[in-house]
Amino acid sequence: MSTQPPLIEAENLSVKYSNGDLALEDVTFTIDSSTFLAVIGPNGSGKSTLLKTMLGLLKPNEGSIKVLGYDAKRAYKTIRHLVRYVPQRDQIEHTVPMKVKDIVLMGRLLKKPPPRFSTTKDSECAKAALHRVGLDELWNQPFPELSGGQRQRVLVARALAGEGPVMMLDEPMSGADHDSQVRIVEALQEYYNENQVNIIMVTHDLNPIHMVVKDVLMLNRTVMGVGHPCAIMDLDLVKQVYGPTAKIVELDGHKYCITHDSGIDRHDH
Amino acid sequence: MIIDIISLIASSPVMQRALLATVLVAVIAATSGTFMVFRGLSFLTSGVAHAALGGASLGLFLQATGIAPWFDPILGAVIFAVFVALLTAYAGERGVAQRMEVAVGVSFALSMSLAVFLMYYLPPTMIPQIWGYLIGDILLLDNLDIVLLVGTALSLVLLVILFKKEFVYVSIDMEGSTAHGMNARGYHYLMLIFAAVAIALTTKAVGAILVYAVLVAPAAASNEILKTVNSVIIGVFVIALASMLAGLAGSFTILASPSAIAGLIAALSYIIAIQIKRFTRKD
Ligand SMILES: Nc1ncnc2c1ncn2[C@@H]1O[C@H](COP(=O)(O)OP(=O)(O)OP(=O)(O)O)[C@@H](O)[C@H]1O
Ligand SMILES: [Mg+2]
Repeated sequence: MSTQPPLIEAENLSVKYSNGDLALEDVTFTIDSSTFLAVIGPNGSGKSTLLKTMLGLLKPNEGSIKVLGYDAKRAYKTIRHLVRYVPQRDQIEHTVPMKVKDIVLMGRLLKKPPPRFSTTKDSECAKAALHRVGLDELWNQPFPELSGGQRQRVLVARALAGEGPVMMLDEPMSGADHDSQVRIVEALQEYYNENQVNIIMVTHDLNPIHMVVKDVLMLNRTVMGVGHPCAIMDLDLVKQVYGPTAKIVELDGHKYCITHDSGIDRHDH
Repeated sequence: MIIDIISLIASSPVMQRALLATVLVAVIAATSGTFMVFRGLSFLTSGVAHAALGGASLGLFLQATGIAPWFDPILGAVIFAVFVALLTAYAGERGVAQRMEVAVGVSFALSMSLAVFLMYYLPPTMIPQIWGYLIGDILLLDNLDIVLLVGTALSLVLLVILFKKEFVYVSIDMEGSTAHGMNARGYHYLMLIFAAVAIALTTKAVGAILVYAVLVAPAAASNEILKTVNSVIIGVFVIALASMLAGLAGSFTILASPSAIAGLIAALSYIIAIQIKRFTRKD
């Protein structure tokens, strides 16, 4: 494992949007493979920007970022081959009458050259993935008619059905109720434990995944903290990122982080 | 009555051409209109049809003034259509449909103004040619029109057979498709440019009125009630064909343009589809 290149290696990375907004500034950090990484930070802190830069969808203004040793600016094609990605919710359109199975199969067919025919193996993988998120019975249902939480689970299944050593999920639990959140977390944890895979999950609420993640990256335009979940639970840091109302509470040997927007973040000491 | 119509069709080349055109336009609607609706871009259809009008009048102007006698109005129509498609595709590179609508609106206004502007400088004998783009008549098609329609329909069918999945993926999740290594941007441009050229050539052949009538409403109607991509494509074909046949038949019994009747029926299909959807939702 130590001979493997790190999962992410960012050096003085800055990313600017065309309107001049500097979304990330002087970002430097390294995350080793294999891991389950949570990227946290308030709205507009650059979490989605970081994922898009890793995928070569946005180009660094300065500095560089590598994924498994491949530079995102030059070798984005290789990276895209290795990655399965679930975009943030508002990127998915519901104007096309697709069945749930078609969406899940997309995770596999996108990696094939046209005409992207699906084989029996593709269907089996897609079915197994849908089973993992607990939605077997929706296989033949129209995707646009699902609830927000069900759609999120289907999109997670799309990533689970695919292949490639890196999964990137941008807020896969937004709009999902408690039950759906639990199903998503359980599915990802189970998949992570059973497979040789890296999971990078953007979230603004660490609470539902505090027990499963190995590393946390806290962003607010630049790196505010990086390391194991314990190291992130620092009062000064949390106040700096989430504002003066943020608190850390200890109860039953667990630390709880209470912020104005995310409720309670808990993790083991 | 029906016997009369059938014998009329059998004996008249005009009717044979009209019927062939009806089937071809229905194919074009099913292949191009459907994907525009999926992409949230049914508005592009009317934008391109008007741009074709602007381009055609530019072509006529260049010919009439002798500036560029080789500049055929059809060439102008196609160039303007591609321009609209490129502008729209560029605005929508990030996959956001709203920005594309603005781009269509702007180029729509631009080409329509150009058309009206140039009309003042054209000899009056040429004006009917411009209006032909707007109010074509399916009963007055010449051989060139049929050739254009056949070519357009065949290319669209081939394109959809080859890249249906890609077009659907681009419509659902452009960013995710790119991130998985698909050249989503390329398919995005391919889809819009092909649709625009098809719409421009169809407009030249049958007129903008019929293009609006059967390229937008049937696709919107099918997409409201049908649940798979293939069934929507077939649904569009059936509704478009039925509207146009009814238009043709109707134009014999009442004195009205077949395009106008087809448009009314197609629009009605959308209203009915919405009612069906509302009704079935309550159960
Ligand atoms: N397409 C864009 N054009 C211009 N600025 C943008 C664009 N996308 C994001 N930004 C800006 O970049 C900054 C970071 O945005 P980003 O989407 O990465 O934040 P985020 O951490 O993912 O937020 P959220 O929790 O709301 O998803 C914000 O200030 C935002 O306004
Ligand atoms: Mg985001």
